[in-house]
Amino acid sequence: MSKQGKGLWRRLEEVPREVLYLLIFLAIIVPTVSPIGLAVPISDEAKAWYNTVDKLPAGTAVFVDFGYSGGGEPELGPMAVATYHHMLRKKLKVIAMSTSLEGPLLFERAMAEVGPEKYGAKYGVDYVHIGYIAGTETAMAAVGKDLRATTTTDYKKVSLDQYPIMAGIKDASSFQLLICFTTGGDQSEGWVRQWVTPYKTPYIANVLALMIPTMLPYRKAGQLLSLTAGAQAGEVELLIKVPGRGIKSADVISVCHLLMVAFVILGNIAYYGRKASGG
Amino acid sequence: MFSLWIFSIAFRDNVFFKFAEHTFVGAAAGHNIVYGVDNVLRYGWTPFTKGALLYVVAFLLGIVLYTRYHKKYFWMSRFPLSVMVGIGIGLSMRATVTAEFIAQIQSTAALKILGVDAWTGFSNLLFIIIVLTVVYFFIFTFPSVHKGNLGIISKFARYAMMASFGYSFANALLSRFNMIFGRVDFLYTSWLPLPGAMVALPIVLILLAYAMIPAQKRPWPKPSKPS
Repeated sequence: MSKQGKGLWRRLEEVPREVLYLLIFLAIIVPTVSPIGLAVPISDEAKAWYNTVDKLPAGTAVFVDFGYSGGGEPELGPMAVATYHHMLRKKLKVIAMSTSLEGPLLFERAMAEVGPEKYGAKYGVDYVHIGYIAGTETAMAAVGKDLRATTTTDYKKVSLDQYPIMAGIKDASSFQLLICFTTGGDQSEGWVRQWVTPYKTPYIANVLALMIPTMLPYRKAGQLLSLTAGAQAGEVELLIKVPGRGIKSADVISVCHLLMVAFVILGNIAYYGRKASGG
Repeated sequence: MFSLWIFSIAFRDNVFFKFAEHTFVGAAAGHNIVYGVDNVLRYGWTPFTKGALLYVVAFLLGIVLYTRYHKKYFWMSRFPLSVMVGIGIGLSMRATVTAEFIAQIQSTAALKILGVDAWTGFSNLLFIIIVLTVVYFFIFTFPSVHKGNLGIISKFARYAMMASFGYSFANALLSRFNMIFGRVDFLYTSWLPLPGAMVALPIVLILLAYAMIPAQKRPWPKPSKPS
């Protein structure tokens, strides 16, 4: 009996990884094909994100770091899209750069998804991307000190002088808000060191969920006005009333997490069961 | 198809995964080289040709970096490297103390235990205790402070850190699920509706399943015999 019991507990503890992956794939595919419509409660951070952008008056200059990589696009892309919807609808002047190499490509992809024309927004007048600037913190410091000395062209290599949006833009003091979408800790923390501390620029960041614990001390210290994970895009989409990929992923994430919780409980039961049966 | 090939590693290594992996690495390397050259032209060469002659120093330092591949002159690469390290440290240090020490200590010291609702007070008290005990945990100079009855402080700190790591792990899972969902959503909404995709999908899956069969058990191709 004891031997049989031990075997069962051991088998439960060592579920083959192929089985785990198959269940995870099913947990992703089923809600994708047939959405369940689980509730998406709106967190305080998502509200703070929305309110920070929403309270800016039309014409305010906002600086955005499109700093995520291709791998992080599924998580951060929806929030970038939702935020651009909000900013362009509010008629803010949005000037973006990228601290990641793929940034300009992902910016184009995000803009195609946003469709700025439906808000009457034009490239160079209401929004612009000044390109990928190498060096991470060196780039942040340089742009903060003198944007026009750092680069004279946008990502399409067109002179910034040709864009009306760039009139009066000189350095970090020209912006009333800094938004960072990033997959890198160097970027999300670098902005605190290079812009928030010296220039007191209000700052909100959307990072990979796994970066949240690292960034929380900055949020608690008030250096960030809002800190969100990419998975919270659905909440912001609800607030701005533009449903998108964020809402779609909410079901999947919830089901996957429930599956993980089930596995953790099962693993613990198996562990203590094996111990109790003398294993 | 590349998405499916890459995901197939979750089940077993196979030739399609290897092909997709190598293609991705090659494409990423090519992309980086193109952007690297473009950056040198955009931020170095263009200003240089317009009269910013000091850029020649940056070019020289950049070229000297490559001496590390020379057996005799590799030592020269240390000079540009030291410049890069110096600039990096100088830039990050100018605000590190304020951004990463003073602000955090201030915010912790400003936490209220009394005069707030019970839950907030308890939460703040717990936060302060955890901060102090975790700092205590990392006192390595005097090992005796972790022995005997004092060991309970380190033990508490360890549990607190474990809870923190658990939170990080859960967040990491969240990120990974999002990544998988992004690909699955792309396959479902963008790829499957394409003409021929519904025919291609089962073919790809059958080929993948076949490629996962160990080489010795496959009817074809037979594994090559070691020479």
